[in-house]
Amino acid sequence: MAESNTVVIIGGGFSGLTAAVEAAEAEKDVIVIEKNPYLGGRVAQLNKYFWKLCPPTCGLEIQFKRIKNNAGVKIYTLAEVQDIKGEEGNFDVSVKVNPRYVNEKCVACDACAQACPSYRDNTFNFGMDKTKAAYLPFNQAFPMQYVIDRNSCAPNCKACADACKYNAIDLSMKPETINIKAGAVIMAMGWNPYDASKIDNLSFGKVQNVITNMMMERLSAPNGPTQGKIIRPSDGKEVKNIAFVQCAGSRDENHLPFCSYICCLASLKQAMYVREQYPDSKVRIFYIDLRTPGLYEHRFLKKAMDDPDITLTKGKVAGINEDPETKDVIVEVEDIFSGSKTKLKFDMVVLATGMEPATKTFQTIKNVSYTSDGFVDTGAKKGIYPVGTLKNPVDVVRSAQDATSAVIKGIQSLRRI
Amino acid sequence: MAEQVISPDLKFVEDVIASGGGDLKKCYQCATCTVVCNVTPDNKPFPRKEMIYAQWGIKDKLISNPDIWLCHQCSDCTAYCPRGAKPGEVLGAVRKLAIQHYSPTPLSKMVGDPKYLLILFAIPVLLFLSYIVPKGYLDFSAIPRGEDGGIVYSKFMPVFPQIDVTFGAAAFFAVVCFVLGIKRYWTDMNKGVSAQGNIADSIKATISEILAHKRFEKCNVTKDRKTAHLLVFYAFIGLAITTTLAIVYLYGFHYESPYPLYDPLKLIGNISALALLYGITSVTGNRLKNAEKAGKGSYFDWLFITVIYAIVVTGILSELLRLANIALLAYPIYFAHLVFVFFLFAYAPFSKMAHMVYRATAIVFAKHTGRDK
Repeated sequence: MAESNTVVIIGGGFSGLTAAVEAAEAEKDVIVIEKNPYLGGRVAQLNKYFWKLCPPTCGLEIQFKRIKNNAGVKIYTLAEVQDIKGEEGNFDVSVKVNPRYVNEKCVACDACAQACPSYRDNTFNFGMDKTKAAYLPFNQAFPMQYVIDRNSCAPNCKACADACKYNAIDLSMKPETINIKAGAVIMAMGWNPYDASKIDNLSFGKVQNVITNMMMERLSAPNGPTQGKIIRPSDGKEVKNIAFVQCAGSRDENHLPFCSYICCLASLKQAMYVREQYPDSKVRIFYIDLRTPGLYEHRFLKKAMDDPDITLTKGKVAGINEDPETKDVIVEVEDIFSGSKTKLKFDMVVLATGMEPATKTFQTIKNVSYTSDGFVDTGAKKGIYPVGTLKNPVDVVRSAQDATSAVIKGIQSLRRI
Repeated sequence: MAEQVISPDLKFVEDVIASGGGDLKKCYQCATCTVVCNVTPDNKPFPRKEMIYAQWGIKDKLISNPDIWLCHQCSDCTAYCPRGAKPGEVLGAVRKLAIQHYSPTPLSKMVGDPKYLLILFAIPVLLFLSYIVPKGYLDFSAIPRGEDGGIVYSKFMPVFPQIDVTFGAAAFFAVVCFVLGIKRYWTDMNKGVSAQGNIADSIKATISEILAHKRFEKCNVTKDRKTAHLLVFYAFIGLAITTTLAIVYLYGFHYESPYPLYDPLKLIGNISALALLYGITSVTGNRLKNAEKAGKGSYFDWLFITVIYAIVVTGILSELLRLANIALLAYPIYFAHLVFVFFLFAYAPFSKMAHMVYRATAIVFAKHTGRDK
């Protein structure tokens, strides 16, 4: 038997959570290492799932509850794995845990945030609004504990600590490094949205009313920066004439050479957000190929096609400019079926940016090899199992399935040695 | 949509791939290329449709289309192509095949194929050797000198008949081939298209556009090409003027070379030569610098550039070595110069040199039919 009965799971997104719950319910000791101050990862940022159009918080809550009720799961937030040494059955995982400055006595009463004089960009909402330096990541965060962003604090300010009635704020916390013995490691660090500013002809960051699909999720979410009202960044105008630019960086050897799989379905879904919110709106999706594999996925596409106010146009957008007067977005595209190059105006444009595996942030982990596209090479190291979007771009369902299968492999690693 | 029967010419697809369009099949028809292209018309823009014509081997729609010549290979399309299909290079390959298609002799295939390179060079080498060997001029000391004892190339290779008849014949052959080729091209372009306006106006507009090199200004990735190409272009005009003057001097005034350096003919010739050297060096430098974004170029391109390079370098060296009186080098270099000039002129209708004639014709046609404004 292995020296350790512990499975370390790096990443507390949907894959990591699923793996944690499955392993813990099989009576393994589980340690989750999450770099954010909250669990849930990208799923927590979504407004609705395709193709059912139900809110992801519902599924997330179930996972949170299963974790809460299981004593076998230990969670470190604001923590990053530094290195993994050793072999299958006997790994040494060193983890840097950054201070939250708030302990478990926190009851999320918001007194610290109200007292706090400083602001920070809200990274959860992709910088579309601000929070105080003492903040709750989002309204359904788990753990339900505030965080202090010390980089945004005013010098020598301790207004939050003074305002806290529960002794929950400790501004003297220091980063610490802990070492964990583990028999198996599951890598579930997930993905980052591709940096759209690298696609210079699509003008993200230069044209105000060009946003990414993940920003669109936040913009449409009831707990987002606009409470779910789809309005454009420049002037708050209701977005009734919107374009989606598919393959913004994906299937492009200058950016991400692979298809990111989710973006077509995500844009169809977001088209429906707009159509539902503004019945007099017009949506146009510019694509190379619409990829909606699967029965329900295909029905979802048919549903969008049946809406006369959603227009699907074959032709990749390759130029975006701004009308300096109105701040409208001018999109340049060839409509392939009619064979004409045109410039079209929209209130707002959403770039369907793809998934970049989050491998860049953990290159310190030795013994794991990567493909040229940045994905983790599976099976390169016994006892370490990458899951979900670290292996190829997948949706939430497939991530969860993959996490479950990785747990079985992890348990076998514990038994084998 | 009406049913269409497509008969693909697979040999043509292979030819495009072999002529520098090696990444043709990677294209997945996203139309990024047409959007980033600043020289295409908006209606039925290029180069996306050319990419699918080339993939499917629809040869007649491609080579008889003025669009392939409206393309100036800025390579913005190649730089932004998400698949690395290099539309700029594919259109370059199609243009080469169009030149071959419309040229009326088998020489066209030979110029585009490296395996015939030696034969092509052997023709002028043997021709010029046949003039000098019987006179025993391979022994340089046997070559008569000028009154002051200096090197006089016309005593090595007489202007008449050797030089003038040879090059006159080569030029005549080239002109005949061009006329035949352009005639066929014009006929093909005219099928199913109606002209509008006055052809003279279209020609005038085309000439003024070419003289100003306006179209090059629209390129982004290869911005620096305009100056380089402009220099080469005007250097050639300068050298054409020099040659015309030389003919006037010799046959009009019976005034024989070598001419003193302050003579207007020498001044124009030497300035043009330096401009050509600088221009063609910039062309080469730009191509190497932009190769990663714009593609490496084909044999067809590089043969043309190399020949021009060789002409200008051997030309300048011939003059310097003559002035320095270094016979051992001067005669062989001058000989090489003649060989390269022959190569450029006699093979012009089949080499990339033909681009000036076909492109100018295509622009005139495009303006005449309202395709290009």
